[in-house]
Amino acid sequence: MLICKDLTKSFDKELFSNFNLELKPGEIVAITGPSGCGKTTLLRCICGLEDLDSGDLLLEGRDISTLNAEERGIGLIFQKAVLYPHLNVEGNLRLGNKKGDITNALVEVGMEGFEERRVESLSGGEGQRVSLARALLAKPKVLLLDEPFSSLDEELSRRLVSDVRSILKERKCPAILVTHNKNIAENFADYVISL
Amino acid sequence: MNIKFSNVCAFLAYTLLVILPLWLAVDRLVWVAGFDPSAWISSLENNYISQGVIEFTFYQALISTIVTMAIGLPIAWQLGRYKWPLQSVVKAILTVPFVMPSIVAAMGFLYIVGKAGLDIRVDESTWFATLIIAHAWFNMALIIRFCEPVLSTLDPKLEEQMRLLPAGNTKYGRFRNLWLPLLAPSIAAAACMTFVFSFTSFALVRWITLGDNTLESVMAGVGSSAGIEGYMISRNEIVLGSSMIQFTILLISLFLMSWLQQKRQNLLPQASEVIVKKRNPKGWAIIGIGVLFSLSPLIAVLLASFRIRNTDSSGTNYSWDTSGWEFAFTSSNSISSAWEALFNSLGYAAITLIIAVPLGWILAQTIIDVEKSRPRLARTLDVLTMLPFAISSVMIGLGVMLGMIRIDAEFFYSFWPTPALAHIMITTPFVVRIMLPALRSIEPAYDECAKTLGITKWRRFTEIKLPLLKGSILVATIFTLAMSLGEFGASWVVTRNSDWTTLPVMIDSLRSIPYKNSLTAPAACAVSSVLMGITLILFTWAEKFRSARDGGMF
Repeated sequence: MLICKDLTKSFDKELFSNFNLELKPGEIVAITGPSGCGKTTLLRCICGLEDLDSGDLLLEGRDISTLNAEERGIGLIFQKAVLYPHLNVEGNLRLGNKKGDITNALVEVGMEGFEERRVESLSGGEGQRVSLARALLAKPKVLLLDEPFSSLDEELSRRLVSDVRSILKERKCPAILVTHNKNIAENFADYVISL
Repeated sequence: MNIKFSNVCAFLAYTLLVILPLWLAVDRLVWVAGFDPSAWISSLENNYISQGVIEFTFYQALISTIVTMAIGLPIAWQLGRYKWPLQSVVKAILTVPFVMPSIVAAMGFLYIVGKAGLDIRVDESTWFATLIIAHAWFNMALIIRFCEPVLSTLDPKLEEQMRLLPAGNTKYGRFRNLWLPLLAPSIAAAACMTFVFSFTSFALVRWITLGDNTLESVMAGVGSSAGIEGYMISRNEIVLGSSMIQFTILLISLFLMSWLQQKRQNLLPQASEVIVKKRNPKGWAIIGIGVLFSLSPLIAVLLASFRIRNTDSSGTNYSWDTSGWEFAFTSSNSISSAWEALFNSLGYAAITLIIAVPLGWILAQTIIDVEKSRPRLARTLDVLTMLPFAISSVMIGLGVMLGMIRIDAEFFYSFWPTPALAHIMITTPFVVRIMLPALRSIEPAYDECAKTLGITKWRRFTEIKLPLLKGSILVATIFTLAMSLGEFGASWVVTRNSDWTTLPVMIDSLRSIPYKNSLTAPAACAVSSVLMGITLILFTWAEKFRSARDGGMF
């Protein structure tokens, strides 16, 4: 279980203050809010890419607030798929887990046979599927998704929302999605909260 | 963001290796000559050694720039606008002069204008023209590298649209309203660089226009007797005056370049699709002459290494054999063997590489690390790393020499790696310039994403950062090696009072031996050919890794 307790962060202005959340195993939550309200920063603070001003983060009973991002066991899928151009699809997946079952991971996200493909040749949706496969290969205790469907067309976005939700539910992987799109939030998450 | 320990160490090392010797040199010269900048400048005109040098330096640099433009622009236009068979080979041939050591070019041009070639060397009035042509040969690559990418990647729709507008329905209209505004910053940047390189020319001036001096060659000439208390004070003033003028001109050029580069970047609207270019058979007249011009001095150097002058009672005749090469590679009482020079050059290049590349890389990383949180500090560090660009190689050589005198002359004159210090000072800023854009091009999300995948710092470095930077590191490595191997000005000053020699210094020494020895000129060309061969290999290798659209001088 992930517990966010009184999380507060401000840059020039206050982004969020005393944010609280209890994410149970296998639960998927969506956080919505207008652009610039601090949704992305909240995810970056939870996974350790940004420091919190105050508050506590407990993951499976352990305080992870002061751990580096790479030690927290929290995965993040960025708004635009981050794929390393010097590696092909398989190379990118191996970064998630050197000994993981790449073929199966690709099958799971509907990208069977894409191992040798260069990442520049992937479409936006394919790129996001590869990012998801890689994030899942790393076996995160919680997966954070930073508007990964927002840059895709409506049809593709709808399909991916449904596919990703099924995969996460199948794996019982808790996840937090941030999005400004209420429809996506409702279709993807078990419940929605506003920031 | 906190400044890391490694960043502080890198800047301390840089200050110690690059800034301190220069500071010590200036301090020493001022200590001997007294602080009077107006006296330094006027001493240039008052001393017969340096009379007319300022005028000559400016004049030849200006004419060189104009002639380089006149030769380089038509070539860049043809190369950029039309399709050529073996395009990359043609481009490589046309740009190779820029990476050639200047002393190799000097040997090539001496052979072309000498008895075996045009036979105009005996006429002193041709020397100036030869110098200008040699400078144009050297710098035309700058025009090509700066202008050709703009011409070859510009979105064709811009020209198509212009054709349909009243302002662009004639060739002149399109030139005036499209090409000229787009090319102007690139042309100006290339002209600026050409002026700087011609202004600080040393080897070509030293060998082609005997008797005429630039500020650079005057400094090199009088520098060996500078820095000694109470001895030839005017020479200290000449060095200070020359370096002050050079520093001012180079600094202005640096600022101008940086401003022009920024304007240039904003004016590069790249076509999104592949541009289909036409062939231009008439253009061969320009490209063909350009290729011939580019290759001539290089072929001349190689030929001259085998051509031996034989003089006996019946007169002078020439034969073709390898005795020049044998002479070069055998040591004599007066001159060391080319093997020794090659060993020294490779050794200095290796030391330079080991220090300059990591140092330049860490300096560039430091600038990027502090850019966001402390932009003013980043700008200061950036300027600091560019400072050696505003100092000529002879001045850097003098810096090392006078710095050595200040610290422990005896030790440094017997310390073999000393000349490498000058090479490190010269190459490190180039490494910083190569690594900065490469490091900037790595998206922060790459590292952040890797962190969220649980990848350790070491793996992030070896599996992500290093492969992404591989091309730039290789270009920096090759460039450092080539620059160090071909470096002449600073090495000439530093090694003058020592037993060490490098390939460029040996070429100079061989050519300086009185002409009655018929093997010295071919031997000088033999060593030049070795240097040329190594540079060509390095250049070809670097071309493979250079980004096609970097448009820079490297």
